[in-house]
Amino acid sequence: MRKAKLARRLGVAVAAVTAVALTLTGCNATGGGGTSADGVTDLKMIMQPGPEADAMSKVTAAYNKGPGVKDKIHVDVTQLSRADSFAKEATLMSTKSSNYDFYQTASYYIAQHAQYLEPLKLDASEYYTSSLDSLKVDGKQYGLPLDPSVHVIFYRTDLIKQMLQDKTTFEKISKEVLGKALEPKDPSTWDWDDYIASAAYFTQQYNPASPTKYGTELQAKNLVYNAMVWDDVLYNLGGSWLNSSGKPDLTSSQAEQAVNVYRTIYTKGMTSPDSDQAEFPETQAALSSGNAAFAVQWDAGYAQLNSASQSPKTAGKIGITRVPGAKHLSHVHTLAVGINKYGKHLPQARTFVAYLDSVPAMKTYVAAGGLASMPAALADQSSPDISALQGILKDGTYAEPNLPRAFDIYTALANDLSGAWVGQGSTTSALQKANADLAKLSGK
Amino acid sequence: MSTSTTDRVRIAPGPARQRGPRSGRTNRNPRAQGTARWVLSSPLILFLAVLVAYPIVNGVTSSLQNHTLLNPTPGWAGLSNYWEVLTDGSFWYSLVFTLGYTIVVTAFELVLGFALALFFDKAFPGKKVLLSALILPIMIAPALMGIMFRLMLSANIGVVPAALDAIGIHASLLSASSVIPMLVVLDIVQWTSFTFLIFHAALQSVPAELHEAAQLDRASKPRYVFSILLPLMMPTIFIAGFLRAIDGFRTFDVINVLTAGGPGIETTTLSIYVYKILAGGNFGLASAAAVLIALIMLPIIPFVIRRITKGATS
Repeated sequence: MRKAKLARRLGVAVAAVTAVALTLTGCNATGGGGTSADGVTDLKMIMQPGPEADAMSKVTAAYNKGPGVKDKIHVDVTQLSRADSFAKEATLMSTKSSNYDFYQTASYYIAQHAQYLEPLKLDASEYYTSSLDSLKVDGKQYGLPLDPSVHVIFYRTDLIKQMLQDKTTFEKISKEVLGKALEPKDPSTWDWDDYIASAAYFTQQYNPASPTKYGTELQAKNLVYNAMVWDDVLYNLGGSWLNSSGKPDLTSSQAEQAVNVYRTIYTKGMTSPDSDQAEFPETQAALSSGNAAFAVQWDAGYAQLNSASQSPKTAGKIGITRVPGAKHLSHVHTLAVGINKYGKHLPQARTFVAYLDSVPAMKTYVAAGGLASMPAALADQSSPDISALQGILKDGTYAEPNLPRAFDIYTALANDLSGAWVGQGSTTSALQKANADLAKLSGK
Repeated sequence: MSTSTTDRVRIAPGPARQRGPRSGRTNRNPRAQGTARWVLSSPLILFLAVLVAYPIVNGVTSSLQNHTLLNPTPGWAGLSNYWEVLTDGSFWYSLVFTLGYTIVVTAFELVLGFALALFFDKAFPGKKVLLSALILPIMIAPALMGIMFRLMLSANIGVVPAALDAIGIHASLLSASSVIPMLVVLDIVQWTSFTFLIFHAALQSVPAELHEAAQLDRASKPRYVFSILLPLMMPTIFIAGFLRAIDGFRTFDVINVLTAGGPGIETTTLSIYVYKILAGGNFGLASAAAVLIALIMLPIIPFVIRRITKGATS
């Protein structure tokens, strides 16, 4: 009798353990999409929340209602956090997960992501060459290019017009700040000295009559994307990550000059003291609040600054031009989508990518708020930011070396240089540290 | 009139616990009992194995491999990841910054939390409303708090700089020179209510007679607080301090949202240091850094356990 009781208790205990084990096993996602009873294959795409994911959701919705019915494919977009999507992807990739059929990738990540992605066959004639090339590794295409991102100067047209007529004050201020008298110029012809002098002109500390408190807003936060913005100064001053023999070159005079451009603007008060923590949103806020007259910014910021409801102070008064320098070159990177090679539905994933690789799909993407790397998809767009983007993509970009650990290098540059940008430590020692990190991470 | 607190907590002796077999339960099979013990403990063992042992073993294994996104099939790397972390000046800076930050915020939060608990240890109009408002910050997710702070402190659109400006104080709250004190203040704003809650609860269990006795003995308020209340609450203070220190040591969300560890590496905590390595897909290196941080914390654990168990015993 007692034995039976004990056996029953043991049975209950074993059942409990089994239940716990099964529950814990159930915590693991079952992986990827699946195929439903009616033969439709569900595919899952991972994307950062934001305009790109919103636009892609509309493209997938159009596909699911249209060609997807015939293809028996249904695609869903899963949005993770804006900041940490790539970190989450890194963990999924490292475990060779099949949870998602598509990964979002980017030109600065592609070398790391390539081993987890399927090579793609795209219609190369439809894309900007720079965007396509930025997503190749060892000659193979791993990402379908979506939004290209470049830098521009957004400036207040009303204020610049006023500055161009105030030669005397401008010369006096430029002499005070730079030690040489400069003439006010149109932003499209600026070099970095003109940028600094104009920033001082619109800073109340130097020009009490300035309608803005500060001339500009630096994006000096310790952030990989801000290292990309700083690269514009470096490359437009004639510098580069690597010299002509392929060795790290961040101790060059151009690199020193490039750090000093930021340092001068920050330490001489031409940008908000808080810009040591500024990135894209803070720069938007500085411009739209009327606190700054111009800034180097990502091209995606135009719509908000020109919107009467979101930015009443600046709507209709925002000009766009290329970044300062002899050749006015901009960093460019491209967001993209790639196929997870460990996914369980590769043929179906390729079918959907073939749909995306078409002008109508990319036109839907653009109409939904995304930007495409296809000239034909942008052809109908006439807004100033898209026109500027098209011009820059045609002949106004430079490319940092396509190194496998590019993302780590941007991280190191931000870590090593962001203090020097805002006057901490010495420029020389910060650049030496950055150069050493570049050498280590590039293996050169 | 001196009432000893030990007299109050002395437990009346009860009947001695029977060690021998109880009546009617004498014929248990020892082997079956042993099996049952293991089986009944197995959920806990499974829990520990899955959530504690596996991550530790996996983390240590990964720390000994050259596992990166670029290298999906890692090989053994020996101690090279550890060497790389230990020879990285940023790691040591982050360690010193994290320890300093932890000590400062914990000290402030203990003192302020205790002071607030004393203030609330009496009846006054609006106490409940004030109490609710006070504990609000700990109910907000730290990452969300970081975003709120980022908006509120923005020099361009923030309500705090605007309010200060209106009263003639022109401060840049996140500038390079003020960002560290600002982060300390923000941690205090969010977490003082946590220590306050613990102290407030502890004060409710202090017998009113103690205060009455001190009053009869004409002990001043500070004397009562420092000579009676503080010694009495020391175990609670230790626990509150320990919990806050642990939390402070692994601070990530607010600082990452506000400064991402900058300018430079000035505000990089150990958690941000590890996160940045991980975000770059360097799993082996990130694991080595995490293991080293655990090893640094390890010597503190026996002291804390001893202190807690001693507190519980007394």
